[in-house]
Amino acid sequence: MRRVVITGFGVVSPVGTGQEAFWDSLSRGSSGIATITHFDASTFEVQLAAEVKGMLELPEPVAIVAREDPKVGFAYAACAEALSDAGVTALDHRVLLHVGTSLESFDLKKVICEGKADFEAVARKILKGGGPPLQIPLDTATRLIIEQLGRPGQALTNCSACAAGVQAIGHGFQAIRSGQFETAVAGGFDSMINPLGVGGFQLLGALTTDNQRGARACRPFDSERRGTVLGEGAAIFVLETWERARAEGKEILAEVCGYASTLDAYSLSAPDPEGDGASRTMAAALRDAGLSSLDVAHINAHGTGTQLNDEVEAKAIRRVFADNWEKIPVSATKSMTGHLIAAAGAIEVGACLLPFIRGVLPPNPSLERVGQGCELNHVREPGTSFDGEYVVTNSFGFGGQNVSLVLRRYYG
Amino acid sequence: MKPDKVVVTGIGMVTPLGATAKESSRAWQEGRFAGRKPVAEFTGTALEDVGVAILPDLKAPERLGGRRMLKYMSDAAVLGCLAGREALQDADAKARFVPDRMGLYAGTGLAAASINEVRKMVEESIDEAGEFSCRLLGERGLAASNPLLSFKILANMPPCLISIMEGIKGPNLIFTPWEGQTGAAFLEAWKAVACGEVDCALAGASDSAAHPATFLYLWQAGLLKEGEYPASGSAYLVLEGLETARKDGRPIYAAVEDIRVIPWNRGISDPLSERVGRTFAAAPAILLGLACMDGGEEVSICGVDQQRFEVELRETE
Repeated sequence: MRRVVITGFGVVSPVGTGQEAFWDSLSRGSSGIATITHFDASTFEVQLAAEVKGMLELPEPVAIVAREDPKVGFAYAACAEALSDAGVTALDHRVLLHVGTSLESFDLKKVICEGKADFEAVARKILKGGGPPLQIPLDTATRLIIEQLGRPGQALTNCSACAAGVQAIGHGFQAIRSGQFETAVAGGFDSMINPLGVGGFQLLGALTTDNQRGARACRPFDSERRGTVLGEGAAIFVLETWERARAEGKEILAEVCGYASTLDAYSLSAPDPEGDGASRTMAAALRDAGLSSLDVAHINAHGTGTQLNDEVEAKAIRRVFADNWEKIPVSATKSMTGHLIAAAGAIEVGACLLPFIRGVLPPNPSLERVGQGCELNHVREPGTSFDGEYVVTNSFGFGGQNVSLVLRRYYG
Repeated sequence: MKPDKVVVTGIGMVTPLGATAKESSRAWQEGRFAGRKPVAEFTGTALEDVGVAILPDLKAPERLGGRRMLKYMSDAAVLGCLAGREALQDADAKARFVPDRMGLYAGTGLAAASINEVRKMVEESIDEAGEFSCRLLGERGLAASNPLLSFKILANMPPCLISIMEGIKGPNLIFTPWEGQTGAAFLEAWKAVACGEVDCALAGASDSAAHPATFLYLWQAGLLKEGEYPASGSAYLVLEGLETARKDGRPIYAAVEDIRVIPWNRGISDPLSERVGRTFAAAPAILLGLACMDGGEEVSICGVDQQRFEVELRETE
């Protein structure tokens, strides 16, 4: 089987756009969480989010769509940076494009006509040739990337909720390893920081209403965690065969060496309380990589800051790494980036590159007192040095989809 | 590991031609057409005469074991759960395979929540000037809305509900929202069985294209040609290795010789469009299911996402 390496990384995130800015912020433990500015959330119970700051440089066709659906712009910008980073000038038949996202953008204003929420009236107006489209399909970014950057051999839009980004990367890894493709451009993008997105998650009770905590409101594994904070952004990677990357003299950011996906088959919104799905996923990813639990030197946790996820994930980590969990440093970057939903796992793969590139671990700066059942070797402080070889990153999705990816430091 | 030949041993289907795979297949073989009805929301508009395909009585509460889970389900999820359950029962898969070794590979269509689900929320959020107000949404609108709305509009929910209801715990991939993406789901399922990553794969899709909001989008986007009409439907197939099926003495519909998903920019072609309606993400699954039941040898469909899904089937000895 072929070795697969990462040669390109592009990122748009609440803590910085572009890989250097992103890694700078994570190194310092800077948080992107603040009061929502994208819309007036002053009457919402949830008033915090991790928003992308600043404007992106986008080609006009992408910019037009991004004004209505920002995640499309995030996807394009991250993809363009990743391709540039890897020295890929265009997508072609040897390339798999696989990106993950979660929910169609839907503007509630669109169902109002003459002061009423009247779908029939809206429909009549649209059918007479007026009014914007009601929906922006989830493959819109995929379509625009193809239009702007070239047609790949296969283009996939993954909708596996919080698992989507890593699922796309994991599938890209498998496709190269098996010889199906030479290159994969894969990752995730998302934004739910809009009235329906924030409102919907507020109704589910998944978001913290601890607004006074501001930048430190998302508190993975903390005893006072009250829920997650929505984030937005995108992270896209270029994966290639090791042989090709080396032959072309490309800088290799890391090697991808294991992947697994499973289903909880338990509940739409809650993880299996025993952490069965999470445990099986991590164990399967290690098997796929040909590793034992003793080989792993760092874990990036899904770590949402919700009561249920963090305790279950900690339990699963302690079970899989029964002999060494106390020694493995665990990061939880949602404390800084918020939860980017479909982009979360992808952006965290980018965070996992930080210790390989700069030799420091991303911290969990919100963690003050470890919650009951959340005992792990948490990385609390910025600047914790790291020279280990293998890293595992987890993403567990709404609906019970679980994924784990194993990365390896590239030694040249 | 030597790649195993992959066969189809279970089929579930809900289409405008029938509430089950057998009903749909029989109607297809008899050359029947889907019934059509106008959409009330489009009365007096250009879409009144187009109409949408009528689904038969699905008896969803009876077939899915009660109404409790139905409240979480979108139309597409109901269709998917019905088809998924039928396919698994047809193959007796749950009795024969370990949940961890069963994979789920699915396509899903455009999100489509009932307008009534958001109407109250929006109405409570309209200010005195008749405009949408975020402040009012926070003050009153959210309190008036259905807290389960997210479950109905997240695109991965239809397959995830199948996994929960049927206990499938293995590898998975979910793609959206057009035909080529469902084709990719079948390709991945076929590969996963062939290389031994899973012992059995449930692969398929559901789409509620006949939903008024989706219908409106499809019309706006120019995705319905003259004479075409939207239809909702679902099909799921159970794929497994030939040796396992033979060992367990299972009836085999067909062997899947090859599956390809290739870029295609020479137009959309959906062999079901005239008689079943356009079911978009669900169309490759329905087409493949019908071909397996009808002794077909080739399946081909070109989707909105400019990808062509091709399957070669063969009867097993």
